Amino acid sequence: MKYSYISAKNKSVITKEFKLLFTFFGVTFFMLFMTYMFLIYKDYSFDQDSIYISNAKIELRKKIKDMQSDIAFVEKQNLFSEGVFTNNSVLKDSITNLFDLVPNRITLSQAKLLENGLILYGITPNEDVYNFMLAAPLRSIFHRSYSSFYPAQNGWLKFVSTNYIDKEDEVTRREDLPNED
Amino acid sequence: MINKILEIIYAKIFVNIIVNRSTTSVYVEVTNKNGIVDSKESEFETITIDENMFNFIKSYIDNTPFFYISILDTSIDQGAVPTCTKIDMPKFYIPETSKHICVEDKWAYYSSKYDLNKTESTYKDIGIDFIFSPFSVLSIFFADKINSNLSIFVLVQESYLSLAIFDNSALLFAKHLDMEHEDDDAEELLMGSNLDEDEEEEDFDLDDNVNLDDLDVDDDISSLDDFGDIEDLGDMDDIDEFSEDQEMDELVEVEEKIISTDTSTEGFNEDYQRYSLIQGAINSFYKDSKYESKFVETIYIADSVGVTSDLKRYLEEEMFLSVYVRRIDLGAEICEMAKAEI
Repeated sequence: MKYSYISAKNKSVITKEFKLLFTFFGVTFFMLFMTYMFLIYKDYSFDQDSIYISNAKIELRKKIKDMQSDIAFVEKQNLFSEGVFTNNSVLKDSITNLFDLVPNRITLSQAKLLENGLILYGITPNEDVYNFMLAAPLRSIFHRSYSSFYPAQNGWLKFVSTNYIDKEDEVTRREDLPNED
Repeated sequence: MINKILEIIYAKIFVNIIVNRSTTSVYVEVTNKNGIVDSKESEFETITIDENMFNFIKSYIDNTPFFYISILDTSIDQGAVPTCTKIDMPKFYIPETSKHICVEDKWAYYSSKYDLNKTESTYKDIGIDFIFSPFSVLSIFFADKINSNLSIFVLVQESYLSLAIFDNSALLFAKHLDMEHEDDDAEELLMGSNLDEDEEEEDFDLDDNVNLDDLDVDDDISSLDDFGDIEDLGDMDDIDEFSEDQEMDELVEVEEKIISTDTSTEGFNEDYQRYSLIQGAINSFYKDSKYESKFVETIYIADSVGVTSDLKRYLEEEMFLSVYVRRIDLGAEICEMAKAEI
């Protein structure tokens, strides 16, 4: 039952001074706690980063190794390609020189390039034209040259010229032997 | 929850302030879970709050956070109305400037918001928790009679009278009367009630009975005779002498009268003032069309100051009322209300 015109003030054990003190210490402890939590978080974050970085480091080292092996492989390939290119250039020059060697009166029908030799098929008006105009340059290039002729239908001669380049030791041995011709 | 537990541990202190004419009575009650531990009543020569009173209250309330300070409303602009509906209230008072509390949706008591705020600000150093209306004190004190009677109920304080007429717990009329402004109130009541000639004469006779109790008719006649001799005076000297002598005599007489009135007839006059106020209020109840008029034969008086038997005699002899006087300890009564409030 309400009798009074006004309501009683709120009664509490906590006085204003206590509230102020509690608020002050509360805020202080809260800030300290938050700082502590922040440090814990940063510590955890630092540990995580450290683990991540060390993992990344290991991975990068592994990648570096892989890349180094790749580089070595590529370098090898490069060397190989250079060798192939050089060989091709040499071969191209050789072929160019070869066709330069062939006189106009002789017609080549087939040429086979071997590792250490050259087989030419063609038609020559006669054996002398072949011997003077083609066989001589071939002999200057190759160590050994063999020629065989057989007549063609039109009276010309088909020829097969087999030429070999000997290796150094074979050349040396051959020079030591008495001339077969 | 924590507060409830602490309330059991701590003692509760109820401080009850009752403002009298020139003093303030402070009743302090210390209670715990076992009941009343200590109670003390002290009176201070102030009608607001002085250092002694402040220190007295402070010495108690500093011991516990659970203290409740109550005060009995002394506002002149307070009263009670026989309605609890907002539409009817403006017939009796101005609701905008007052605060009211309904009782059982039958009647309400109200007080001036300004005076309530003033009371709160006066005691702001100690902080007031409850302001109780004398009408709520009256209704609780006479709860057993209000519910079953058509009677006048009066709470008599040193400077105030709170009068209410209840008919089987329904309020018919209520008025808060200030004895310090008795003349104004009485005049207002008499004028407001439009008393007829006979009633006015009756009042006049009553005044004479009180003030001229020891005078007899012969004295009046002799004084008139003396007055008549004045007409025979011839010259100015005699007049001067006469006037000087008379002034001296009158001054002496007046001083004697004042002294005798102050000492012996103070209680008597106060009771007569109270009687006059009650009579005026009842007249206005009968005459004012705002109130449902019923003939009342009984009056219950809650006496907090110790009225003399004269008041009872006046009411019985002059108004033919059955008078019942019950002593009330206002401090303890307000204390009980404060306990009920929390």
